[in-house]
Amino acid sequence: MQTFRQYFKKEALEALRTNKYIILFVGTIFWALMDPLLLKLLPMILESSLPVDMTALLPELNRDTAFVNFAGDLFEIGTLFFGFTLMGLVSSEIRFKRLVFPRVSGAGFGGIVLAKYIHYAAVLIVFIFTAFMTNYFYTIGLFDGGFLSIEAAVRAAVLYSLYYCLLLAILILLSSLFKRGLFAGIIIIVFAYTMSIFNQFAGIRQYLPNYLLLKAQDIHGGFDSTLIPAVMVSASLIAISIVLTVYRMRKIDIA
Amino acid sequence: MIKVEKLRKNYGRLKALKDISFEVQKGTVFGFIGRNGAGKTTTMNILTGLMKSDGGKIIIDGMDLSADRDELVKYIGYLPEAPSFYDYMNSYEYLELIAGLSGCRPEEKKKRTGELLDMVRLKKDAGRKIGGYSRGMKQRLALAAAIFDRPPILFLDEPSSALDPEGRREMLALIEELKDENTTIILSTHILSDAERVCDTVCMIDEGRIILAESLEVLYKKHIHPIFDIEFEARPEKQADMLKDLDWVKDLTSSGNKLSLEVNDMDKAKDQILGILSKSENTVISYRLRKMQLEDIFIGTVKDNADI
Repeated sequence: MQTFRQYFKKEALEALRTNKYIILFVGTIFWALMDPLLLKLLPMILESSLPVDMTALLPELNRDTAFVNFAGDLFEIGTLFFGFTLMGLVSSEIRFKRLVFPRVSGAGFGGIVLAKYIHYAAVLIVFIFTAFMTNYFYTIGLFDGGFLSIEAAVRAAVLYSLYYCLLLAILILLSSLFKRGLFAGIIIIVFAYTMSIFNQFAGIRQYLPNYLLLKAQDIHGGFDSTLIPAVMVSASLIAISIVLTVYRMRKIDIA
Repeated sequence: MIKVEKLRKNYGRLKALKDISFEVQKGTVFGFIGRNGAGKTTTMNILTGLMKSDGGKIIIDGMDLSADRDELVKYIGYLPEAPSFYDYMNSYEYLELIAGLSGCRPEEKKKRTGELLDMVRLKKDAGRKIGGYSRGMKQRLALAAAIFDRPPILFLDEPSSALDPEGRREMLALIEELKDENTTIILSTHILSDAERVCDTVCMIDEGRIILAESLEVLYKKHIHPIFDIEFEARPEKQADMLKDLDWVKDLTSSGNKLSLEVNDMDKAKDQILGILSKSENTVISYRLRKMQLEDIFIGTVKDNADI
């Protein structure tokens, strides 16, 4: 508990001083503000920059399309920000031998890993919720029509949060496996994008984590029983990844 | 007490430690001396539990390091050769982290932090980010972190390598002070004069093998040269004649006003030399038993080891 408390404080200080909060803010909340605005301006941009009027080819822009567009962009762009910002969470500690004094002072690996995970999971949840709520109210103000409700926005935030909590656990595990965090960052981004391909396959998609994103973008849906396998799989993978990270750290030389 | 038995470590094909065994007595300063790459830091890292060995046993105060690592860590302090910190923190914040991890009480935390920053002469720069510190400043902060919770066993890996002469002198004084407080210190250094000043026992390590482990007292006795160097006011021709035929004199060489006398019976030589010379009219200016420095012993031992 001592280690957890100290490392939680350390992670918060580190995120503040190394601008991780700002980078994650740009990847989520800033995007929540920019996305509807860009979508609103898109017809005008197309009209002024193309010789023929192509606005007729665009789908009808209402609150639903704006919200779904943001959710899709958040996954595509937010994952890049997430992966490259947090890729060195464990690897840089090991590579630069920063755990020597903490370890000799009594720090336990379980506490270190849990503090890192819970801190950034909390940050991601707060940012994702704020992003979806910001986007919801902004979309309501900018667009007309559609069936977008606050419930749909909250549901999307919950499902995205769970999904990114899973990615975070896997990223921390990967970060403990490689000396250079860049490898962990690239692998997690490729993993996230590749998994979304499986959303095309109706037979297996509901067992995979990316199904959470698919359901988040379904404005008319709800928390139904089809989500249970994906939630169970994601929760299990989070637990397994954390346990494996602690196990891995116990096995490696930190000096 | 620390007991190391047949410790082994490989880095791929390179055998960094080849079944080394040694013992460190409680409350003593144990010096690890050797060339760069001899295996000193690897041994230190394994003994502090930060690195896994490929074989062997380490017993610290009756506990097995591999089984009781989490318990033993409470008794250990470590100053690595190239300490690494969270560069965005300042010294106060870093020592507070260390204090929190070592279970220091909040009221004690602030007092001890101030005390240590004062001791390592960092109080003035304590509010600056560690990333902006010089190597010497980082080493001083590392020392403060290593001794924060007053560990009874302290590992110091080249503790004065980045320090200025003043800092080095202070470091040696601190080691002596800690020794007086019954702290067991394992000191790795290639500055042999430092080892000579503070160590009770030295362990010479070369190419992953221990080539000598002995108390300094015994070491000097073993490696002492039975040669007396005597300097006279005038050329000592007559004195040389007086001494050369004595049964305990093995060899005698003369150079200018100096005589070097190699003996085969040290006790007789000590008893009789000055008595004999006092009868002559040539005044003795200096008289000393030629003593080997640790450096000479080290070089000789390493050379002998290489010849094997």
